[in-house]
Amino acid sequence: MRHFRTLLAHELRSALLSWNTWAAGALFLALMGSIHWFAVLESSRSPQDWTPVEATFRLFWLPLLCVLPLLTMRSFAEERRSGTLAALLTTPASPAAVVWAKFLSVWVVWMVFWLLFTIFPLLVEIQLGTPGDHRLSDPSMLWGGICFVAISGLMHAAIGILCSCVTRSSALAALLAFISLLALTAAGGAMESLPVESWEWLGWLREPAAHLRTFAHLQDFASGILDSRPIILYATGTLLCLGLANLAIEGQE
Amino acid sequence: MNEDVPTPEAAVVAERLTKKYGSLTAIEDLSFTVAPGEIVGFLGPNGAGKSTTMRILSGTMSGTSGRAAIWGASVALDPVGAKRHMAYMPENNPLPEDLRVEEYLTLRARLKDVANDRVTERVQRVMEDCDLARRAAGRLIGQLSKGFRQRVGIADALLAEPKVVILDEPTIGLDPHQILGIRDLIRSLRGKMAVLISSHILHEVEQVCDKVVIINRGRLVAQGRTDDLRRELLPESSFSIVTRASISELTLACQRLEPAAGVEMVSQNDGAIRYRVILPATSPIRETLASGLIAGGLNLREISEEKFGLEDIFLAATRRSPAENRRP
Repeated sequence: MRHFRTLLAHELRSALLSWNTWAAGALFLALMGSIHWFAVLESSRSPQDWTPVEATFRLFWLPLLCVLPLLTMRSFAEERRSGTLAALLTTPASPAAVVWAKFLSVWVVWMVFWLLFTIFPLLVEIQLGTPGDHRLSDPSMLWGGICFVAISGLMHAAIGILCSCVTRSSALAALLAFISLLALTAAGGAMESLPVESWEWLGWLREPAAHLRTFAHLQDFASGILDSRPIILYATGTLLCLGLANLAIEGQE
Repeated sequence: MNEDVPTPEAAVVAERLTKKYGSLTAIEDLSFTVAPGEIVGFLGPNGAGKSTTMRILSGTMSGTSGRAAIWGASVALDPVGAKRHMAYMPENNPLPEDLRVEEYLTLRARLKDVANDRVTERVQRVMEDCDLARRAAGRLIGQLSKGFRQRVGIADALLAEPKVVILDEPTIGLDPHQILGIRDLIRSLRGKMAVLISSHILHEVEQVCDKVVIINRGRLVAQGRTDDLRRELLPESSFSIVTRASISELTLACQRLEPAAGVEMVSQNDGAIRYRVILPATSPIRETLASGLIAGGLNLREISEEKFGLEDIFLAATRRSPAENRRP
């Protein structure tokens, strides 16, 4: 991990100065602001099963699919296309340091977006709520949801980084990331809805499918349940994707 | 930079390097060395394998077999050790468009293990050496002309005072003034760094390099000092003679002096004919050809020895058959 800190500082600085980051941030805030606005409106019209914050978080997959690929797509694909990655690898900096620096910078930006989102529920509570009543901002759901996004975001960002490593086209990298994240998010629910009990040969899928229930993980985190299984799933998924990304970078010719 | 490694005999070693892409062989059994402080020209026609060799030496591509070493460190087994002593400027010199020159060089200095307290000093120094300090330091790289971008690439290569600099076509796309500037810069590295430079401009290589390595179709065809190669590959002397005599008269006169002499007509202008007289390089009459022809009754307007340039050496080397090339 030689020169990791130098590379991370460079990546963060580049992200801050990139139009791409600002465009993704604007899209993210517009999307989440609109979702939250409609959730508050719906709550004001009739009683809902979920608080506005919970309803907003249940749509976390929208920015995940639309915004995260925009952050990860250029990380390696653009550098491979322009040749600057090869030039970077002629220095003593290790490929692992390059991969981790790009990954962490994407994750930090992704978390900054989500932390900026927390302003919306707080504003709603300041404007519409009564002192001491936190149902509008729902702090436990809010910070539990942020914890879920932080932990699952590690694997999501790593998937985006891996997709960017395997192509020289940013657009293709974004598309690959979109498809992978969509498959991952939908996999748990899709497998649960399959009648696997009636298909004996698919019975073994039931238990792995149970571990991929992304929305159940969100619910657990929001309820304050700290289950180690999703944490291990996201941690190993992150390491696997970054390991593969490292191999892709080392093997590029 | 790490100074504790003793000076090796060869700064760059390529030993039986081979690179294959499926059934296509890009380079085969390529062996050469570059001594510390030496400037070596790496020549070959398009597609000969120059860039492939340079990429293997720089560690950005792995070879199929063979050994590459930089300052004693194997590129494959000790890549960090090799990279610490080497700087590589690829052919198209890729640079990040959105960084300013000074920022970019500062980042590269940090990545190249330049001590923190020397980063600013080194960046300023290379910017001055490459004439970037006054006109380009604060500009975005994406806004620079081709010439300035090449200078940024060379400044980057010199930043960490490496022992070995590998430059792939450093003057491509530059105007004559810029080429002169880069040539002087490279010349100033003689004795300080080993430089391996590929270029299509043979005159430029001849001006700058101590030695040349010539490859063709992925194989080594010649290496050595230009004078040695001239003797090896072009074992004859050529004289340009202008006279009014006919070709038969001149041939007779020349062969009276040296039976192996050959004569060919080059051009004719206003009755005066320019001939090329070719003699074996070892022929003793090279020193007395003019007086011998005059004594034989020929009136000469002009006589001069033609010196074979690197272009002739290159053409002779790349024309040799593969069988000849394989000879030790």
